[in-house]
Amino acid sequence: MIINILLFIDFVMLAVVIIGYVYSSLQERRYLRRQASQSLELQQKVYQAQVLKEINERIGYSLDTGKIVDIITSSLGNLLEYDTVSYMVLEESGKVIFKCHVENTVNHEFVEQVKEKMLLSYSAILNREIKPSVVDESVTGNILDDNLKAEVESFFNLPVVISEKLVGIINVASVEKGRFGEGQASILYTITNQAAMAVSKLQAVLESEKGKLAAIIYSLADGVVMVNTNNQLLVSNPAIKKILGLEQDKALTMFDVVDGLAGKVDIRTKIEQSLAEDKPIFVHEVILKDKALELTISPVKNSQGEKLGSSVVFHDITTEKSLDKLRQDFTAMMVHELRAPLTAVRWSSESLLKNLSVANGADQAKVKDTVVTIETASNNMLELVNDLLDVAKLEAGKFELNVQEYDLVGLIQEQAKVFRPQAEQKHLTLNVTSPEKYLLKFDRVRIGQVLGNLISNAIKYTDSGQVEVNLAANAEKKEAVVSVKDSGIGVAREDLSQLFSKFKQLKSADRSRKGTGLGLVVSKGIVEAHGGRIWAESAGESLGSTFYFSLPI
Amino acid sequence: MAKILVAEDDKLISNSLCDALKAAGHEPVPAYDGEDAVAKAKEIAPDLLLLDIMMPKLDGISVLWELKANPETAKIAVIVLTNLGDVETISKILEAGATDYLLKSDQSVDDIMQKVKDVLARSVKLA
Repeated sequence: MIINILLFIDFVMLAVVIIGYVYSSLQERRYLRRQASQSLELQQKVYQAQVLKEINERIGYSLDTGKIVDIITSSLGNLLEYDTVSYMVLEESGKVIFKCHVENTVNHEFVEQVKEKMLLSYSAILNREIKPSVVDESVTGNILDDNLKAEVESFFNLPVVISEKLVGIINVASVEKGRFGEGQASILYTITNQAAMAVSKLQAVLESEKGKLAAIIYSLADGVVMVNTNNQLLVSNPAIKKILGLEQDKALTMFDVVDGLAGKVDIRTKIEQSLAEDKPIFVHEVILKDKALELTISPVKNSQGEKLGSSVVFHDITTEKSLDKLRQDFTAMMVHELRAPLTAVRWSSESLLKNLSVANGADQAKVKDTVVTIETASNNMLELVNDLLDVAKLEAGKFELNVQEYDLVGLIQEQAKVFRPQAEQKHLTLNVTSPEKYLLKFDRVRIGQVLGNLISNAIKYTDSGQVEVNLAANAEKKEAVVSVKDSGIGVAREDLSQLFSKFKQLKSADRSRKGTGLGLVVSKGIVEAHGGRIWAESAGESLGSTFYFSLPI
Repeated sequence: MAKILVAEDDKLISNSLCDALKAAGHEPVPAYDGEDAVAKAKEIAPDLLLLDIMMPKLDGISVLWELKANPETAKIAVIVLTNLGDVETISKILEAGATDYLLKSDQSVDDIMQKVKDVLARSVKLA
């Protein structure tokens, strides 16, 4: 009995031990199993990440849709088990590209089935029928064996969307039933999604850069064209049409460019030369109608140094040229104006020397005449040099005024008195209308210079009639306005604004009336230094002109 | 002795030239602007014209054109005296039919008198 009891206890204990063992081993196995599945998941994730990284790297800077989908599908083999992986891309031209990669040998029928399923799915997404006649098909990978019995038993299609645009469909298919579950679908989805996102970002960056570049080229004042290596026009901007004198709404072709430059530059030869020599070529001063152009023809290469074509930049140098002409004319004028009195001085001294060396004594009257000539010529030259110095001072901003209160009327009368003999010599009347006295703060010497300049100009450019000087106060504008009105040759409207420019004299071809025009430039500087304005009005050529200047009250 | 028209608006230069011409035994006639020069050329039929370029009313080149266009004055020998030494002006002067040109400030009065003598001798031979 006791033995029985002991045996029972033993049995119970054994059972407890066994149960305990079984339980613990079950626990352990469950744990191990969980661990195994966890590590599988982890492994999958690591793998997925690696594939994504690889896809990202391989996509690089390619935005070729076909290439991207190709990259995605070729990376899937590591993650999914399938017999074929395919993609279908609908090109803008309407052509459908179908590529199928055979992992495990199937037959032609299998590939046909995959294609049909994809076309069907594509049509459904696009909501229109895609005709199989425009399908560009290619099958790669393992051989197809029509003796093999192979049916598409399981598959799924996944749309690839980049930048919210459907670019294609990926398909995986298998001869096995139920091969693709939720897990596989999720892997494929994750991968395509990630790749698409990477591409979208890249595309956005490139689009924005392209947009910026396009905007720069579009708004450039220089004409720009780019051609590929077959001399076909790739890029052009509105400026080029303007330069070639073509209508803005007409599409530009390379023919227009070649035609526009015909007889001036053989642009095609220059492009070829630039490509062959692999360096920019400059064509200086191409005169096209009323424009002067400078062309720069440069080879265009990508980052790999591959030649993509050539760019031609048309830089309009008309303004530079005309400025250059103005500068030359200005110099010629200065040379003339300085040489004239120098000539007089030289010839007079020569004659003086001769006269003084005459044995029977110099002719006193003649000597006096000659010396007067020398004096006058020297004064003329001094005046010109002073004008030049004043202009230089103005330009350097080193013009100083000695401002005090003076009677402006007194100064006007004084200047009129100086110039009256000159006016009378030309049978002109010189009148002054003004209040009796007008006190104002100004630099007496400098404003005298302005008055003298305006009055002498009026006399110089008037052959008959009168010159009228007027002073009136404009209380509203708080300024005193002096006007010098003549009945002379007048000024053409388009030249009015140029009158006070350093180079203005040269615009008119009329060199018959001497003068450098520097006086007006200096006058403008003086008046503006006083806070006043200077301007001119004229009804037109031969209708007289009125010059005004104002001084603040 | 030759009759020489001096078309020069600068009185100082004109006087110097006239004095020198007189001293050399010629008969100078001054004209102080372009229109005056054309009128006097027709009126007095000078043997030689000394012509300035920058003159009031009508510039020297226009004076040349007018004289050359008129058979009465086309044969007058013309020496252009200018201060504009640029190639453009010089070629315009020669195109317009001037016999010779001199850059004023580069010459002494004696040089100019020598030139006058040369040109007059040549035109006498031609005549």
